[in-house]
Amino acid sequence: MSRRAAGAVVLADGHTLSASMLRRLFVGQCLVLALHLTYMPVWLGGLGALVAGYRYLQLRRRLPRAGVVLRLVGVAALAGGLWLHYGTLGRMEAMIGLLLGVYLLKLLETHSRRDARVVVLIGMVATTVAFLHSQGIAMAAVALLAVAWLIYSLVWLAGAANARQAWHESAWLLGLAAPLMVLLFLGFPRFGPLWNLPQADRAATGLTDEIAPGDIADLSRSDRRAFRARFEGDEPAPGERYWRVYTLSEFDGERWRRTSPSRFATALKQGESPWVAEGGRSPWSSVTAPRFEAELLLEPDRRPWRPSLGTPQVSGERLRWLADGTVEGLTPLASRGLLHLSSSGMAPSWLEPQGMHRHTRLPAEGNPRSRELAQRLWQQAGGEPRAFLAALMSRFGEAPFRYTLSPPRLTSRDRVDEFLFESHAGYCTHYASAMAVLARSVGLPARIVAGFLGGERHPDGHFTVRDYDAHAWVEVWLDGSWRRLDPTAAIAPERIEQGAAAVEGAGDAYLADAPFSPLRLRGVGWVNRLRLDWERLEYRWQRGVIGYRDEARSAVVARVVERLQALWNALQDQFSSRAPLTWLMSLVLTGVGLCGLLVGLRAAWRRHREGRDEALRIRRLQAWLTRRGMPPHGGESPAAHLRRLAGSAEAAGPALRDCAHQFERLRYARLGPDERRSRRQTLGRRVAEVKRHLASQERPG
Amino acid sequence: MAIAPGMALPQRRLFLLPTRFGVGWAVLVLLLLLLGINYQNSLAYALSFWLFAVASVALLRTWRNLLGVRATLRLPAETFAGDEVRLGVVLEGGRPRHAIEVHVANGHTTKGRSREQSAPGGSATLDLATGRGETTLRLPACSRGEQRMPLLRLESAWPLGLVRAVAWLASDETLLVYPRPLGEEINEHRQAGPGLEAGDFAGLRRAVPGDSPARLAWKQWSRTGVLTAKVFSTPPRQQLWLDYDGCRGDLETRLSTLCARVLTHHQAGDHFGLRLPGVTLAQGEGASQRRQALAALARFRSGSNPGGTP
Repeated sequence: MSRRAAGAVVLADGHTLSASMLRRLFVGQCLVLALHLTYMPVWLGGLGALVAGYRYLQLRRRLPRAGVVLRLVGVAALAGGLWLHYGTLGRMEAMIGLLLGVYLLKLLETHSRRDARVVVLIGMVATTVAFLHSQGIAMAAVALLAVAWLIYSLVWLAGAANARQAWHESAWLLGLAAPLMVLLFLGFPRFGPLWNLPQADRAATGLTDEIAPGDIADLSRSDRRAFRARFEGDEPAPGERYWRVYTLSEFDGERWRRTSPSRFATALKQGESPWVAEGGRSPWSSVTAPRFEAELLLEPDRRPWRPSLGTPQVSGERLRWLADGTVEGLTPLASRGLLHLSSSGMAPSWLEPQGMHRHTRLPAEGNPRSRELAQRLWQQAGGEPRAFLAALMSRFGEAPFRYTLSPPRLTSRDRVDEFLFESHAGYCTHYASAMAVLARSVGLPARIVAGFLGGERHPDGHFTVRDYDAHAWVEVWLDGSWRRLDPTAAIAPERIEQGAAAVEGAGDAYLADAPFSPLRLRGVGWVNRLRLDWERLEYRWQRGVIGYRDEARSAVVARVVERLQALWNALQDQFSSRAPLTWLMSLVLTGVGLCGLLVGLRAAWRRHREGRDEALRIRRLQAWLTRRGMPPHGGESPAAHLRRLAGSAEAAGPALRDCAHQFERLRYARLGPDERRSRRQTLGRRVAEVKRHLASQERPG
Repeated sequence: MAIAPGMALPQRRLFLLPTRFGVGWAVLVLLLLLLGINYQNSLAYALSFWLFAVASVALLRTWRNLLGVRATLRLPAETFAGDEVRLGVVLEGGRPRHAIEVHVANGHTTKGRSREQSAPGGSATLDLATGRGETTLRLPACSRGEQRMPLLRLESAWPLGLVRAVAWLASDETLLVYPRPLGEEINEHRQAGPGLEAGDFAGLRRAVPGDSPARLAWKQWSRTGVLTAKVFSTPPRQQLWLDYDGCRGDLETRLSTLCARVLTHHQAGDHFGLRLPGVTLAQGEGASQRRQALAALARFRSGSNPGGTP
């Protein structure tokens, strides 16, 4: 039996792994590879299949083992493939690919138990590396499966006799380890990165720092999540959910561009310091107290942007506060991150250091009809900026203008003219761009703000903001502060109140790139409910598990300490009123009671087991007899032992004989359940009798 | 350090040693922790903690797998020098235990390596699925005489192979190894010895049910109608002495020769005695005589009789 048990893992020579063990390792590889599948080049899967196929043929046809040449060729092919795919081996994806490839190729030279264990260890590393791609629930679930399988293979390698045993043991290991893991996870201190490692490069989607009419409509085609937010305290009303991300002040007649601090610095040949400051709070003057406190769960992105509701003011971590009232992270986010940010909900109320002229600049020529229109309206308004802006807004609300996500293409050089006087159709970018140009042509400082508007409110109170919520609006400098002015509100008020999906005529372009998005099924009640439930679960997972950083840990630890303290205080209150003696007495009594309970439980458990297992009862009787100097002889059966003793024991003799008889019946006879039970009870009584008699015999003697 | 057979393995005699794989596992956990720290990756943290916790649990389970195991040895009934000793090892665990290895602990080999290098018979793996298991170790029996049982090592790396629980089992039982029987003279003796052929016809008797058909006297039956069976006389038993001085060669050769003769004469049912320098075993027959004779041969030392021939 023992030989065969080992044979399930290794072949008869005791060294070479059997085919079934290799199969188990291969299944493990498939699971680990599945974690990487959507992020890595697909041909890695082909590599794994090739290696497995080679091993299969080798075992089947008894081919020689893979030689050095074949292995070197494998590694070279892997490195070459990755180089062709990524253009370099220095990028993180290429390194992950290398790790995976080595993991797969290792199967070629896996012959002994030790090799197999090395394969499993590499598999564990590869599983962890998959978390750099994503830390979602699905990833965690598949990773759990993979880890369980790897542990299962290790149990096989340690000499499991069958699959059931191996699963049983793996389940015990993982299950018993889970509580310890949770404790460590909650209690282990979190440090910042010890050193910098290459980060995964992510394709940038979402907002860009350049806008031309037409851009944001591309975003409305995608349902990618941009970020999620939860508010502590007040939630903004639907009309207030303007998330500022960038301001765009440079207009070249066609596109609006952002002037980042670094561009200023290079243009003016001086440091960035006038336009940006690092720290935990905004250094720019802010009179108002923070109105909204948001906890943002940001999706990874290549750019360091951080959205804020109005002007950002205070944050829990160090950020770069920009002079235009926006904020950036110190680094791009490689994985989802939590950010606490409080903000004013309004446009900033300070001027940028380089002055106002930047915000009134227009190209020297172009869009002549628009300029003429602006001058006319300005005169009608009598040089009163508010009246002028109101006139603009009401003009946009009027008949020929319509809001659509698929407007006709603007082709001429004077795009604002073309939009205002010919097509009359467009969406936020068109309107914002036209508005800013008109305001600038009469000398009013104006800029475009790119960001998000709205977001889906979940029943549990968190908001999901997606790419299709991207929006652009205008800020105008009026009476010593910037004022938000959204021309889209005039043309399509439902866009503000209900989100992008509500806009009439948006139909075609909305979600055009996400044909299978569950968001298309918003109208179907149960699908929508399921989607919301799943998103809530996802949000909690991301926020609770993935976002578990040092602050969260400190909070949890503090809460536990607080609870313990409260418990301790309650105990002290309970006992301080009474005399210490009573206190001690009650403690001792409780202790004695507990001990008694434990002893009782133990005895009951013993009795219970003995009642179901006559062999155990007889073994214990024999042990009892051995302690009294009547041990069994070597090789003597229990029944023979008892019978032999019965000869010399006077009063206990019949009981001993009956014990032996009952035991033999129970052991060897075919009994019905009722008879078995009654015989077991008799046996119990007889055993008690024997002990009583022998003990009483002993005492007088 | 070692425990005796029949004793439940106590905590103080059970040692836990990390394996190389265990060291590798520790490095893995550290590596994953560093990944978690440097990438601020919660799942990497979680996995590294989990693997650490799994290792701790595995440590306990390895320890528990071997704790309280009761090992008893089953000595072979008889062993001749040059044969292998088939040493039965019975392990009782009370509860299911897995993958317990039993090795002959050679002095010079160290753990780990020894498993792959020692003779295949010198170790075995046992699975006590029902709480009890038995295996046989095959050891070489080199020389005649009383042989002490070797030190046995019980090991288990169950369930993951991260640590190895080790205990040693020392038995003070001894195994009596009989001399190696030297066969060539026996054949001579057999051919030369008179009356060893069983099969002289001695007469007829009435057949009883159960008689072998080959022994029935069919011819008599056809002639007389009475079914009878042939009776063959058992050969006359030899009354003989096996004498040390009657053999040639050095001490061991003579003992081997005598051993072979004891075996032959016992098989033939002879009545034999044994004379060794200083030791005389009275004539007798049967299994006990054989045992005594072989034991005397096994224990014989030339030193026990200074006047004996070398």
